[in-house]
Amino acid sequence: MSSPDEVPALRVEDVHRAYGGVPAVGPLDLEVAAGEAVALIGHNGSGKSTLLRIVAGLLDADGGEVEVAGWEGGSVHARATTSYLPDDPVLYDDLSVAEHVEYVSRLFGGDGFDGYAEDVAGRLGLAERIDDLPSRFSRGLRQKASLLLGLARPFSLLLVDEPFVGLDAPGRAALLGLLAEVHHDGAAVVVATHDPEFVERVDRVVALRDGEVAFDGVATPAEALRLVGA
Amino acid sequence: MPVDAVAPSTEDGTVDAYPVDPGLLDDLRRARRRRRVAEIHWVDALYRVYMAGLVGLVAVALIAGTVGDTPLTAGQVGDVTAHGPAVIGLVAALAVAVGLRSGSRGGPLAVEPGDVRHILLAPVDRGRALRGPALRQVRSALFVALLVGAAVGRFADRRLPEPVGAWILAGAVAGVTLVALSLGAALVTSGRRLPRAAASGVAAVLLAWSALDVARVAVGGAPVPASPGRAVGWLALAPLDLHVASLGAVAVAVVLVVAGLAGVGGLSVEAAERRTALVGQIRFAATLQDVRTVLVLRRQLAADRPRARPWLRVGRGPARFPAWRRGWNGVLRFPAVRVGRLVLLAVAAGAAFRGAWSGTAPLVALAGVALWVGALDVVEPVAEEVDHPSRRQSYPVEEGALYVRLLAVPLVVSILLGLLAGAVAALPGGGRVPLLVGLAAGVATALSACAGALGNVVAGAPSGGDELGLIAPEVAGLRMVLRAVWPVVLAVLGALPLLVVEADLDAGRPAAGMASALWLAVAGLAALVVAWVHQREAIAEWWRQAMDAAGQGGAGTRGDDDGDEDEDEDDSGDDEEDERR
Repeated sequence: MSSPDEVPALRVEDVHRAYGGVPAVGPLDLEVAAGEAVALIGHNGSGKSTLLRIVAGLLDADGGEVEVAGWEGGSVHARATTSYLPDDPVLYDDLSVAEHVEYVSRLFGGDGFDGYAEDVAGRLGLAERIDDLPSRFSRGLRQKASLLLGLARPFSLLLVDEPFVGLDAPGRAALLGLLAEVHHDGAAVVVATHDPEFVERVDRVVALRDGEVAFDGVATPAEALRLVGA
Repeated sequence: MPVDAVAPSTEDGTVDAYPVDPGLLDDLRRARRRRRVAEIHWVDALYRVYMAGLVGLVAVALIAGTVGDTPLTAGQVGDVTAHGPAVIGLVAALAVAVGLRSGSRGGPLAVEPGDVRHILLAPVDRGRALRGPALRQVRSALFVALLVGAAVGRFADRRLPEPVGAWILAGAVAGVTLVALSLGAALVTSGRRLPRAAASGVAAVLLAWSALDVARVAVGGAPVPASPGRAVGWLALAPLDLHVASLGAVAVAVVLVVAGLAGVGGLSVEAAERRTALVGQIRFAATLQDVRTVLVLRRQLAADRPRARPWLRVGRGPARFPAWRRGWNGVLRFPAVRVGRLVLLAVAAGAAFRGAWSGTAPLVALAGVALWVGALDVVEPVAEEVDHPSRRQSYPVEEGALYVRLLAVPLVVSILLGLLAGAVAALPGGGRVPLLVGLAAGVATALSACAGALGNVVAGAPSGGDELGLIAPEVAGLRMVLRAVWPVVLAVLGALPLLVVEADLDAGRPAAGMASALWLAVAGLAALVVAWVHQREAIAEWWRQAMDAAGQGGAGTRGDDDGDEDEDEDDSGDDEEDERR
């Protein structure tokens, strides 16, 4: 096998998926280099979430190939490499935020609720609620707890689905900063979003239309908005 | 900073199978379980045991009362020996078919939503992660099957020869085998990701084979090789006629369960996620006694969606009777699986009529329940309007009048199902019901079941904020039970006159008079339900005004401000809650 530097963080080839006979994604080809930051944009129903869920291993593709850092998508090593932050936070009812981090981080080979997790929690405004049960949180706080879970563990590919929905202004600013840091540290970051501020910060914009790549390159926020028909 | 991957470098090509210590998951789970157990209060635990024991005792007492204890004659024992294995085999085939279908949708496991997102996406051995929950589920189901099977064996002993111990043992082993076959089939299907069409195909073959087996034993005809399910039947009836082949069922059950547990890691994460969300919602809706929501969620779980193209096109032009056309548009889009289910339920009701006619009177309840379950699907055109109150309120038609108009098509479909049940009851063979009696029983039961299902759908889930708060807790509890039970009771009432006809004919009395009067009374009850649906808005309004008047009177007498506040809150309740009253 070639050197890790040459292996793309994500390679999607001829992937397609339909729901009840209605195509949702593809056939679609996409490659994301290691350490690259990509904004995945597109109108509602364009296939962004479906694509991210297929890459994360939550959805089965009807056909095609997915590789994460050279590993087959959904395989144990691809899972070890990927962190997926969904748009619908799913958390345990009986674990506090800190206990969540301890549990999930260790399952991914991390150090549990360490100094880094504490720092991220503080920046997301969760420091005071770290020992509370997220089942009693508002939507926004649950979203922040889910972001903390996704960031406080080892990964080299970060997949984020609509992360800014439901976040307050400080949370949004903190997340933008954290995503920039993660990217700076060498992780590939793929974010499905309509947020122009994030689009401005990335290396590359991929626009999906009806499940296929309609644009792939560098785009300004205004161009991105035009691409999604806003 | 955690930007790193625990997956080892691919440079040397040697990698660990699992980059995270496999024991870690077990340790973390154990810690969670310890904590959960520590949080359970002993009073809660005792209360659960008490309730389970109470329900079990009541069930056993009820069954004991209906089974009776008159020993069967030698001829009847011969019938049981001849027909029983094939009939029990059909039940076994049904259990395996349910398992296969469930497995093709990711069943029988329903893991925690958090486990799907966090554990199944973690770099851990999925087989190891899922085997524990699967084993616990299998263990619990087999334990319940053991108890139920042993209880059934104990009841069988009261009417059949041979020692009680033999029947208890046979019942327990057959019960465990039956459930193990179903669970094992489900686990293997989900672990191997058998496509839905293949699972349904295998299920259909098993069911058809067993049905032919039953038919051949009952009415003769072309020889059919003994169905595989018969082995379970031989096991259950081993005290009467021991077959060595019955051990084959036990062996197959063990193999299926072991293979299923070994391959559980192959479960599709997509199926697991979908199932876990829906099962959670179904459990919640069931605790609220919300039958309609349970039905809708179960359909989602079973991917039971309306057809894109109807079986037949109903005219596209201007509709003189739009509700009539809308009803057919909905019913003619029923998917094949729903149509098949309705036909099966009608056939089951017909078979239950035959059983009741030949002396097992409690089977009329089974006929009523089968047609009531079918009717919950049949009243779909009405249910669609009930499900969307804001759209319904935009129509320039009274709510009750709209429901009654939409009921026309469900009534026609119910009559068709009732005729089918009656025809099955009148087929030649043991327990044959006279044709006219069978058809009358089928139609009456189907119509009363339709009225009961209409009541379920229109009444919806009990509202926490209604007048229940004004009545004593004991009365409120009784009211809740009645609310849940009356639709099924109404359905069963439609079948009861069959027993009267049977008794009259046995006694040599003319059967038509009393039975006709009873069926007319049932029809009257069903008509009352329809009238209630038509007028329930007016009744609810009258009730509201009566409550308001009582509240004002009471507040005036007490001079209590709280009463006024409560009243205001009631008034501000949303329309949906008001309708539920």
